[in-house]
Amino acid sequence: MLAAIAARIATALVTLAVVSLLVFALLSSLPGDAGDDEGPKPLPATFRAALRAQYHLDEPAVVRYGRWIADLIRGDLGTSLSSRRSVRELLGERLPVSLALNACALLVMIATAVPLGVLGAWKPGGRWDRAGLTLTTALYAVPVFWSALLLQWLFAVRLGWLPLAGIATEGATLGSLGAVADGLRHLVLPVACLAGGGLAYVTRFVRTSLVETSAGDGGRAARARGLSTLGYLWRHGLLQAGVPLLTLAGFLIPRLVGGSLLIEEIFGVPGVGSLMFESILARDIPVVLALTLISGIATLAGTTLADLLILCVDPRVRRAG
Amino acid sequence: MTSGWRLPLAAAAVCIGIAACGASPAPPPRDVRVVLYHDPSSLSLIGNTDQNSAQLASMISDGLVSYDAAGRYVPMVAKSWDLAPDGKTLTFHLREGVVWHDGQPVTAKDVAFTVAKIRDPATQAQSWAGYFADVTSLETPDDATVIVHYARTYADALEPWRAPLIPEHVAGKDSDFLTGGFARHPVGCGPFRFASYAPGQSVVLQAFNRYWEGAPKVGRIIVRIVGAERTGYEALLLGDVDLMAVTPDLWRESQSSTAGTRFARFVYYRLNAWKVDWNQTNAVPYFRDPRIRRALVLALDREKFAATVIGGLGRPAASSYPPESPWSDPSILPLPYDPVSSASLLEESGWRLPHGKRVREKDGKPFTFTLLLAAGSQEMADRIAAWMQQSLAPVGVDMKIEKVEWKTFQQRRKTHDFQAAMAGVSFDPTPDQYDLYHTSAAEGGFNYGGFSDAEVDRLLEEGRSTVDPTARHQIYNRLQQRLREVEPMAFLFQLAQPVLRDPRLEGVEASPVGLFQFAPGPRAWHWSEAGTGR
Repeated sequence: MLAAIAARIATALVTLAVVSLLVFALLSSLPGDAGDDEGPKPLPATFRAALRAQYHLDEPAVVRYGRWIADLIRGDLGTSLSSRRSVRELLGERLPVSLALNACALLVMIATAVPLGVLGAWKPGGRWDRAGLTLTTALYAVPVFWSALLLQWLFAVRLGWLPLAGIATEGATLGSLGAVADGLRHLVLPVACLAGGGLAYVTRFVRTSLVETSAGDGGRAARARGLSTLGYLWRHGLLQAGVPLLTLAGFLIPRLVGGSLLIEEIFGVPGVGSLMFESILARDIPVVLALTLISGIATLAGTTLADLLILCVDPRVRRAG
Repeated sequence: MTSGWRLPLAAAAVCIGIAACGASPAPPPRDVRVVLYHDPSSLSLIGNTDQNSAQLASMISDGLVSYDAAGRYVPMVAKSWDLAPDGKTLTFHLREGVVWHDGQPVTAKDVAFTVAKIRDPATQAQSWAGYFADVTSLETPDDATVIVHYARTYADALEPWRAPLIPEHVAGKDSDFLTGGFARHPVGCGPFRFASYAPGQSVVLQAFNRYWEGAPKVGRIIVRIVGAERTGYEALLLGDVDLMAVTPDLWRESQSSTAGTRFARFVYYRLNAWKVDWNQTNAVPYFRDPRIRRALVLALDREKFAATVIGGLGRPAASSYPPESPWSDPSILPLPYDPVSSASLLEESGWRLPHGKRVREKDGKPFTFTLLLAAGSQEMADRIAAWMQQSLAPVGVDMKIEKVEWKTFQQRRKTHDFQAAMAGVSFDPTPDQYDLYHTSAAEGGFNYGGFSDAEVDRLLEEGRSTVDPTARHQIYNRLQQRLREVEPMAFLFQLAQPVLRDPRLEGVEASPVGLFQFAPGPRAWHWSEAGTGR
């Protein structure tokens, strides 16, 4: 068991190293780099050369990659080439914002998708199933930039119930509880947009897993004992469908640290999506690598966690292990 | 219509405000909320600056001189200056009573420190370092005098000295200028002092009461950082923002919507243009012929495009000296739309239309070229490119479009790896455009097309070394005429910048360099009587 986990982590580390090397190679092979920005006046050649030397851009790519790995082993993520701030500090600012946004969106999504899925699986093809399918498919089909603008217009501009953008009311002096409430108010619209888009996928997944379980031996046996379909689905079905659901959850975890460029731009949320985008355009290799690394680690953590949880819920796997 | 009930409420609020005023001392001046679309790249005032941070820096600290609303130099921290007749020595006399935001006096030593920092590559002052390239030495005989020596006659000697000053007693303590204490909490001598910065959210500046020209008439300037232009516009509709430059689309929307029509509005032109570089190196021999470069512009109905696609928010450009420039020769007008002359110029230069074909040929080769442009947020580039393609087809020229990402675009333009390349360009109010046109500027400068003309070179050299303003004007007028004859690059359009503001925010003026980076700029902003209540 432990050996299996260790092997998995080792494989993941190798994968991460390969991914970081690929990202580094790709970014380095693009035309232009962080040191070639033009000013309003041409820069003296000596000045330009000194500037590039500070970024180590005068060194071969292999040396720079080696330097990055060596720093990483010492726990140093390096310095952003465009803002000159430490990558750790930049992440410290951006990551909690994305984490809060995505965690709320995931919770809302799962809290909505599971009941909808259960309703759908209750009478497949029935009224509830069709209503849920229509709703979630419609939400999935609406482009997020459009739904975001629509929500902004309705709730912020027209009704004035929620803030338009940003993550906090600036200049407001609030207690810690007030600040949390203020933050949550700012999160409502972006969370609704993020959760709405993924709802269809998760709902269908829950529904399909439940329908399969319900049609199986367990479902038949339960109904033979006089249990209603809905009662079975709630009490046993969800647990039985747990394995595919947890696998799905494992894949959703990396989303926690991922960014959503459009949502962040529209709602003025300083998250990692816009940081990643701007860093790629600016050839800010240390920042891009750090973000790649983090999403890689999250993916690894997600799938490993899901596997461990499956062990707990599924007696067959537990015994086999 | 929807805001009908708000008006009586606002009136009531104003009444209460007035009643309250009678009883208590005057309330602090009201804040002004403006918008930036990106975080500033640095708060260090001079290091690693982008447009956003330069805009902030101009409010936080003054230079020795500044531009006024017409793009002429006005004294700031320097009260006067003398340029030696040979144009190589410039003496500044500093104003008395100018203090930093911490109360310390601004001295000549601080000026010397600022220059040393700008020239230190560790500061990464790309925006300013080029201007100081010809400064050989600097003397500070006393606290109020700065003597600058230039390597050669520098007719635009004042140009570098718009750079915001930084205090030696604060910034000098930092071992790393760009990440040290100063870059986190800058101290300047400008009309607004830095108060706070929340990344991705806002920068707050506070009016500086001891500013040498008197305290600004507004309280704080809150710069909100919003990712999208539409979000900024909606914040304006909500009353969360008082002033913003908008895109043409939002401008049109604000004219037609009930909520939008309550704003005061104006449109102004900056010193910039959309430009096409024609590669004239050996790689693309036919762009070396000035007749062809002119013919391609003559085939474009720019008036119509400006009136329809841009909705009147733009105009055909005449040259790299826009009408807003103090050095523009008013006799040089934009080339007209003249497809007949365009066709005959192409005929004259040997590009004929074979019978039954749509594309002109010369020596069996079709007239085909690719216009390179940068993909990005400016969809105007796509619109202009598509329209050029359509406009050139009837005169028998086949234009293809290639879109690449900005860094790639810059790289390819710099290395002459293109046939034609289009981008926006902005100009200084000074007349010296050596870096744009001189033969030597093809490598390391901005003469991306590799244009070369002996007379243009001579005029450029003469212009930058002539100090007498009248003689200079003659030289630059002659240059503009010569440029019209040879059309080294095509200046297509100047786009207008529309601005919306709360009608009660007064004193907002525009200059050819924008709303911020000139004197008085934001220092003149103030709320009308009706607007001070909130």
